[in-house]
Amino acid sequence: MAGRVVQAAGRDIAVLEAGSGDPLIYLHGYADVHGVAGEFLPFHHALANGRQLIAPAHPGCNGSSELSDGHSPEDYVFHFLEFFDALGLKAFDLVGHCAGGWLAAEIAVRHPEKVNRLGLIGASGLFISGEHIGDVFMHSQPERGVHYTSLRHMLFSSSDAELALRYYPDGRGDIDEEVRRYEMLRFGSFVGFKPPYFYNRTLIDRLYRAAMPSLVVWGSEDHMVPLAHAEAYAARLPGAGGAVVLEGAGHAVHLEAPDAAAEAFSAFLAP
Amino acid sequence: MIDPVQLYCWHFMSYPYLAPDFDETQPTGWVTVPNSLWDKQRSRGLYQQYIDQLAYADELGFDGMVLNEHHQNIYGLMPSPNIIAAALTQKTANGKIVVLGNLLPLHANPLRVAEEYAMLDNMSGGRIIAGFAPGSGPETFNYDSDSASSRDRFWESVSLVQQAWTRDGPFAFEGRHFPLRYVNPWPQPEQEPHPPIWIPGARSKDTLVQIAKNGYCYFLSSRSHGRGTAIARERFSSVLEEHGDRYLPERMGILMSTYVSETDRQAQEEAHEGIWYFLKNCLKGHQRRVGRQLTFGPGVPYIPPHEFRAYLENSDPTTPLLGDTEDWDDLDRSGSIITGSPETVYRKFMQIIEAAPVGHLLIQFHMGNMPDELARKSMRLFWTEVAPRLKQATGKLFNEKFKAMA
Repeated sequence: MAGRVVQAAGRDIAVLEAGSGDPLIYLHGYADVHGVAGEFLPFHHALANGRQLIAPAHPGCNGSSELSDGHSPEDYVFHFLEFFDALGLKAFDLVGHCAGGWLAAEIAVRHPEKVNRLGLIGASGLFISGEHIGDVFMHSQPERGVHYTSLRHMLFSSSDAELALRYYPDGRGDIDEEVRRYEMLRFGSFVGFKPPYFYNRTLIDRLYRAAMPSLVVWGSEDHMVPLAHAEAYAARLPGAGGAVVLEGAGHAVHLEAPDAAAEAFSAFLAP
Repeated sequence: MIDPVQLYCWHFMSYPYLAPDFDETQPTGWVTVPNSLWDKQRSRGLYQQYIDQLAYADELGFDGMVLNEHHQNIYGLMPSPNIIAAALTQKTANGKIVVLGNLLPLHANPLRVAEEYAMLDNMSGGRIIAGFAPGSGPETFNYDSDSASSRDRFWESVSLVQQAWTRDGPFAFEGRHFPLRYVNPWPQPEQEPHPPIWIPGARSKDTLVQIAKNGYCYFLSSRSHGRGTAIARERFSSVLEEHGDRYLPERMGILMSTYVSETDRQAQEEAHEGIWYFLKNCLKGHQRRVGRQLTFGPGVPYIPPHEFRAYLENSDPTTPLLGDTEDWDDLDRSGSIITGSPETVYRKFMQIIEAAPVGHLLIQFHMGNMPDELARKSMRLFWTEVAPRLKQATGKLFNEKFKAMA
C-alpha cells in the first residue's frame, strides 16, 4: 500500500493504492478508509487482489484540497473526471460506499463508457418517498458531549459493535481520526446537506444509462440508507442482478463483513 | 467626548408554559422539541406581553431594545424578528431597535433583508441597528441549510445588503450564491449612509478581520463573561490596529443577563424559577451537555478543519456548559447571569466592563417563565438604581482610557 498526492486542475488529491492489474477506482464513505481510517482496511486489501486499487480521498478529506467552489454533485463529478484525466485513465471498474457510492453512480450515468463495472455498497444518492436517508449530521453531535451511541447505531449493525467502538468511541478519540471524521462531514455537508439531502432527485431516473455490469451490496442492518434504496438501485441499474444483502451487517457492511463482501466482489469482478 | 456605556433591553421571547417535568421527559428544547406542547389557550397574548415589556424599557429610557432570530425551539419565539421590530416601531418612540440579527444564509434571496431593514428604518425614524448573523448549528437542521458553505454565503449576503443600501440602482450583483440581475430596492434606509451594522462572532480571527475591515460593530456571542471576554476585546483591538483603525468602546457589545431586586437574597428567591427554567429547559440542546447540543460540533461543520483541530487540542468535551449549572455558586462563577441588589449588580457589571471596556451592554431581563411583573420590576430597579451609576462610571472610565484616540 502506498500513499501519494495527485495534482488535478491545480488541486491536491490524496490517493491510497494497493495491488497491481487493471485499475479499480474506490470512492470512500464515512465509516471507511479516508472517512475515519487513515489506511486501507481488510476489505480494501481483498479488493486489490489481482487489481490496481486506487482510492482518492474526497475533496477536503485526509489530505486532499477542499473544492472551494463545489456546491453540487455535478461539481464533484467534474472533480473526479479531472482526477481520471490526470491519471490518464480512460476506463476502469468503479466501486463506492455511502456518499462515494452516490458519486460513483453519478459518474456512471454521465460517462457509462468510462465505467467497465459498477459496485455500490450502502450507497446514498436516491430519493425514495417515505424511505429517508438517516441524518448522519445530527447523530454526529455527541450526547452529553461525549456519547456517540446513536451515530454508531446508524453506521454499524449495533452501537456496541467492535468496529463501531474502535472508530467512533465515546469521549475524545484519536485527534487525527476525529479530524478525518470532521472533514468527511464537511465534505458531506458541501455535497448533500441541503435539499437535496444526500440525494439527487434526478438520479434515479437516469440510472438506465448505466448499463454496465453492476453489483449492489448492502447490510441487512443498514440504519442509515434503508434497504429500499438497495432494491431501487438493483431494479433500476440494467446491469445489476438482485441486491446482495449480507445478514447482520450494518451500513458499513464492508467493514463488518469484509470476507463476505469481498467474496461478492471477487465473483463479480472476475476477469 | 466618548459616550458612556449604552444599555439595551434584550428579549428572547422564550416559551414559558412547559410542564414541570419537561426536563425529565424531553431530550431537547431545540429543533425536534414537539410542537404539540404548544398551549394555544395559555399562549394567547404572550407576544403582546413580551412586546409590552420592550415598550416599557423604552418608556424607562433604555438606549434600545434587542431582538434576534430563532427557529423551532422554546428558547426564542422569533422566527422573524422583523415582525416584532415592526411592532416596536409603532409602540416605542426613542430607543434604538437592534435586530441581532437576521440569519442571512437562511434566505433564498438576502435582498429581502435589505428591503425589510430599509422599511423598518423608515418606519422607526432611523432607529434601526441592522444585525446580520450566519446562524449556527440548529438552523442548519431547521432549514436544511448547508453549514460547510454558510460562512461564505453569509459574507456574500452581507456585501449584497450593504451594496443595496449604498450603490445607486439598478445594478447587477455578481454573487456566487446570490447572483441578481437587478438590485434596486425601494425604499432606501433613512439613516446615512445606512443603519449601523452589527455582526455577532465568537473569537474567530476571520470574523474579526471582516468586522474591522468594514467598520462594523462586533458583538461577542458568548453568554459567559470573564477572562474570555477580555481576550476577545484585546484580540479585536489588535485586529483593528492591523487594519489602521483604533478600538473604541462603541465598536463592541456583549450579552448580559440580570435580575435586580431589593436585596441579594430577594433577587435569588424571586428569579429562581425563571432562571432555572431558562437554564434547564431553554438551554437544553443549545448550551447544555445533557441531551445533544446542536450549536457546535462535528455535525455542523461550519469552521475549517484546522480550526476544528485546534478546538479539539484545546478543549475538553466534558466541560460543563452554562445550562449544566447546578447551583447559585456555580452560576455566580460563570459570570453569566448576575442577580442581586442594585449595589451588587452595579459592582459585578463594572468588574466586567473594567476588564473588557465594551460600549454596548445588551441585557436580558426576562428569563424562561419569569412572570411579567418580576421582569418589569427588575428592569425598573436596574434603570433607576444601576444604570445611572453605570453611565457615570463608564463615561469617566472610557474617556480616561480612550479619549486620546477618539
